[in-house]
Amino acid sequence: MASPCISRAARCLGSTARGPIARQTAPASSLCQRHYHSYDHPSTPPFGTVDRSILAAAYKHVPEHGFSLRAIGLGARDAGYPDISSSILPDGQFSLIRYHLVAQRERLADKSRELLKDDSLATVNDKVAALTWERLVGNKDIIHRWQEALAIMAQPSHLPKSLAELAALSDDIWFLAGDKAVDPSWYTKRAALSMVYSSSELFMTNDRSPSFFETRQFLHRRLGEVQSVGGTVGAVGQWVGFTLNAGVNVLRSKGVPI
Amino acid sequence: MSAHSLLRSRAGLFRPTACISQTNRLFSTTRQSRSSEPTPTANRPTHFGYETVTESVKQERVAGVFTSVAESYDKMNDLMSLGVHRLWKDHFVSSLNPGATNPIGMPQRILDVAGGTGDIAFRMLQHAHVNNGNPNVHVTISDINPAMLAVGKQRSLSLPASHQSSLSFLEANAEVLPSSIEDNSLDLYTVSFGIRNFSNIPAALKEAHRVLKPGGVFACMEFSKVDKYPIFNAIYKQWSFSAIPLIGQLVAGDRDSYQYLVESIERFPSQDDFRDMIAEAGFAIVGKGYEDLTGGVAAIHKGIKPL
Repeated sequence: MASPCISRAARCLGSTARGPIARQTAPASSLCQRHYHSYDHPSTPPFGTVDRSILAAAYKHVPEHGFSLRAIGLGARDAGYPDISSSILPDGQFSLIRYHLVAQRERLADKSRELLKDDSLATVNDKVAALTWERLVGNKDIIHRWQEALAIMAQPSHLPKSLAELAALSDDIWFLAGDKAVDPSWYTKRAALSMVYSSSELFMTNDRSPSFFETRQFLHRRLGEVQSVGGTVGAVGQWVGFTLNAGVNVLRSKGVPI
Repeated sequence: MSAHSLLRSRAGLFRPTACISQTNRLFSTTRQSRSSEPTPTANRPTHFGYETVTESVKQERVAGVFTSVAESYDKMNDLMSLGVHRLWKDHFVSSLNPGATNPIGMPQRILDVAGGTGDIAFRMLQHAHVNNGNPNVHVTISDINPAMLAVGKQRSLSLPASHQSSLSFLEANAEVLPSSIEDNSLDLYTVSFGIRNFSNIPAALKEAHRVLKPGGVFACMEFSKVDKYPIFNAIYKQWSFSAIPLIGQLVAGDRDSYQYLVESIERFPSQDDFRDMIAEAGFAIVGKGYEDLTGGVAAIHKGIKPL
């Protein structure tokens, strides 16, 4: 079912980067920022040509030099720009971190096509689990630098953009998994997935197990918890609703004017 | 503001100018009176504060304003911005991070246009030579106004010798930079609180584009618009239109020049419009292209010359 829909999603993923981010990074004039997803009109990409080429070259230096100005400087040089050009990036090191976040998120959209061909992924929840794991695997080359990146992301000036990127990621995962719900669970699903993803990511920074299988287990335990908590909360809600309704009916039958 | 009173105040300030040009001659390494050279568009109308004048008249009048404020310029900056301009300038220079090269110590050439009193240039040298340990960074201070340059030269004498040797002065009109500054020769072109005084801003931006290397950076710090915060904007407008000319009158004895400064700030385009002007001159813009300081009282615009 998913394949045509997903390939369209992948093509215009830029447009799923909503609100704050795209507004921040929009180069010059030419902007009509949308707050909804359009299949037919991809919006402005999050990076321009100059910053994309500098950051792409700098990204190769991250495993060795971390998300640092030095990596950006070396990247600028590799891309053929003079040293001063790295000062053009508005957020310094954070630009490089954001490049990682955006690039991995875009990679996930491309990857999802072959990932979701697998028939064993029957339910939306299974697909979400598979996509989240795939996104975590995207961190493996730089995971030894990720703690310092998290510290930079948590700085007050960068926090809004970091959170917006996290929100965009969980939104993308639910979207790619084919979730079409438009009830209030839209919010809880995304909030829960953001929480699960970020705690798994944190777990992963200290995971020394081969091919991060402990992180994988951690992720599945958390997703399982969310589902069982979600189920319990739903059941409790239903019980409370029924009891209140019945109570009101009993009172009415006794002649109380409600 | 009235033109008569401005002329009067200029006439009154002839003496300090004369004495400044004397000091000027002591280190006269700069070419003389380029500023008198007419620009190709000298007869086009432009703004001088709230007045509309021709470009050549604006050039003359701006020269008058800065000749008269040169000596009290730094004191007045402190009073007018309540000291905040130092923070802005420090932030401006550290965001450009001059002298950070790979490997360490590669030469860089910087032109600080309208940098007469050296505020930006001295910080650049400090940052490059001391913070980044790169003595091969050279800064040229360019200004159209010999009086402002003279103040900068005087102040540069208290710098360490190594900084002084990496510094040169140039009296030039930013709209027609002299041929001594070759095409594609600079890493960084900065202009700080100067560009709104230019008669022909697009011409100056074109000139910046010409002299920068491919990949070189244009960085401009200028007063801007506080439209995003209406209440703060009201306080700020009150301050600039009432307090600043008054401080100018009391401290520098020159109300009209400071009235002009305030009006010229008001006339200067908004962040987005100025960003578009930079893009039009051929620079690539990264991100939204500017950074607001103190809610937009000033803004740093950057552009990069594409490879």
